Amino acid sequence: MKKEIHFRLNGYEVAAEVESHKMLLNVLREQFHLTGTKEGCGQGECGACTVLVDGLNVDSCLYPAFEVEGKSVTTIEGLVGEGNVLHPIQKAFVEGGGIQCGFCTPGMIMSAKALLDETPDPDEAEIKRGISGNLCRCTGYVQIIESIEKAKEFVQAESADETD
Amino acid sequence: MKKFDYYQPDNLGQAFKLKEKSGENAKYIAGGTDLIIRIKQKAVQPDALISLRRIDSLKGFEENGNISIGSMTLFRDMERNELLKKACPALVEAVRVLANPQVRNVATPGGNISNAAPSADCAPPLLVMDATVTVAGPGGERDIPIEDFFLGPGKTRMDPTEIVTRIMIPKTPAGTGMAFLKMGRVTQDIALANVAVLLVMEGETCRKCRVAAGAVAPVPLRLHTVETLLEGRNIKKDLTEEAGRRASAEVQPITDVRSTEEYRRQVSGTLVKRAIEAAVKRVS
Repeated sequence: MKKEIHFRLNGYEVAAEVESHKMLLNVLREQFHLTGTKEGCGQGECGACTVLVDGLNVDSCLYPAFEVEGKSVTTIEGLVGEGNVLHPIQKAFVEGGGIQCGFCTPGMIMSAKALLDETPDPDEAEIKRGISGNLCRCTGYVQIIESIEKAKEFVQAESADETD
Repeated sequence: MKKFDYYQPDNLGQAFKLKEKSGENAKYIAGGTDLIIRIKQKAVQPDALISLRRIDSLKGFEENGNISIGSMTLFRDMERNELLKKACPALVEAVRVLANPQVRNVATPGGNISNAAPSADCAPPLLVMDATVTVAGPGGERDIPIEDFFLGPGKTRMDPTEIVTRIMIPKTPAGTGMAFLKMGRVTQDIALANVAVLLVMEGETCRKCRVAAGAVAPVPLRLHTVETLLEGRNIKKDLTEEAGRRASAEVQPITDVRSTEEYRRQVSGTLVKRAIEAAVKRVS
C-alpha cells in the first residue's frame, strides 16, 4: 500500500508518497537523495544509518517510513549551517582526526549529537555508552572519543557565544 | 524486502479488528527491532504489520504499591526513570545493557518478551520478581504469570490475536536485594548467558530466593535447585560457590554461533554466584 507521509526533514516541512514496506533509510536516500546516511548492516547493530527522530538517535534501517508521520527527522545534512558552515560536532571530528574512511562518520556524529543534547558534559564512560551502537572499522575509536570530548567544548563555546 | 501493508491503529479495538481482517499472515509490531530483522532474514514473511506505536493506553508506568509497566513503554524511558530504578533495579540494569541506544530509543518490554528469545534480557529480572503479564485480544484480557509465559524459543502462551498490554511487578518487601548480570562477547551483543537474582534477607538469613537464567535453555529458566539451596540459610562463601555449581548443573545450554555449551555452563555458574553476592550487598 502507498501513503503520503508528512514530516519535518532537516527543518523543512516535507511530504512524500511512500510504500508501506519501506524503511526510513530507503526514503531518505532514494526519495530525498540524502545519501549522507549509510546502510551498513541493515540490522540495527552498526549504526551507519543513524538519524535523529524527534531528537533521539535511531537506526533508520529498522524504522518503518510510515512511523515518521508528524515527526521531526534530522540527518547529517541537517547539521550543516547556513553558508555551509560545519556544525561544531562536525568541526570537532575534522580537527580531532575522528574520521578515516568516513563511512561510519554520519551515524557517529548523529549519535554524538543526541548524546551531547541530553548530556552536555559526558565523561568518557558516558561517551562510550553514547556511541555503543556505532561501529567503526578504521579508527579504533580513540580519536572518535577524543573528537567528541572536543565537540563538548565547541558546542558549549557556541552556545556561550549565542547568549552573549 | 518482501512487501507488506502497514497499519497504524489508534486503539486496541482497531488493532484487533485489523488483525481479524488481515488474518494469519499479519503480525503486530512494536519497536520493530527484532521483527524487521526477522523479515529481512526471511524467518517470517507477513503480508501486513499492525503497529502498536500509536496506542497510548499501552504506554507509561504506574505505581500503586505494585509497579505496572505498559508494554509499549520505551526502554529509553525505563532506564531513565528514578522510580523504576529504586523499585526494580535488576530490570533497569538489564534494560541498560540491552542492545544499544538507537534500539533502546524505539524498543519495548512488550516486544522483548513477545519475541521470546531465550536470551531476552528482560526475562530473568521479571522471573525473579514474580511478574505477571497482562495480555489482551478480541476476546478480552487475561493475566499470565511470567513463569508460564515462555513456551519455547520464539513461542509464548499468547494466541496469535493477543498482545501484551501491561507487565505487573509486585512490590518487594523490606530486606530485598536484587542483581542482574549479562555475558556477551562484546557490548550490544545478544547475551550468551544472563542471570538475575532476588533475595529477601532477614539479617544474615535468606528468607526468599529467586534465581533465573537466560540464553542457557529453550526458555528463560528459574533455577529451582539454587533457590532451594539458599532459602532459610545464611549466605556465606561456600554456599555461593555451591550455588554456582548447582546453577551450572541445572542449565541446559547449547552450542551456537555466540558460544559453546561448555562455556555457557561454566559462565552461568559464575554469574549466579556473583549475582547472589551483589544482591546480598544491595539489600535495603
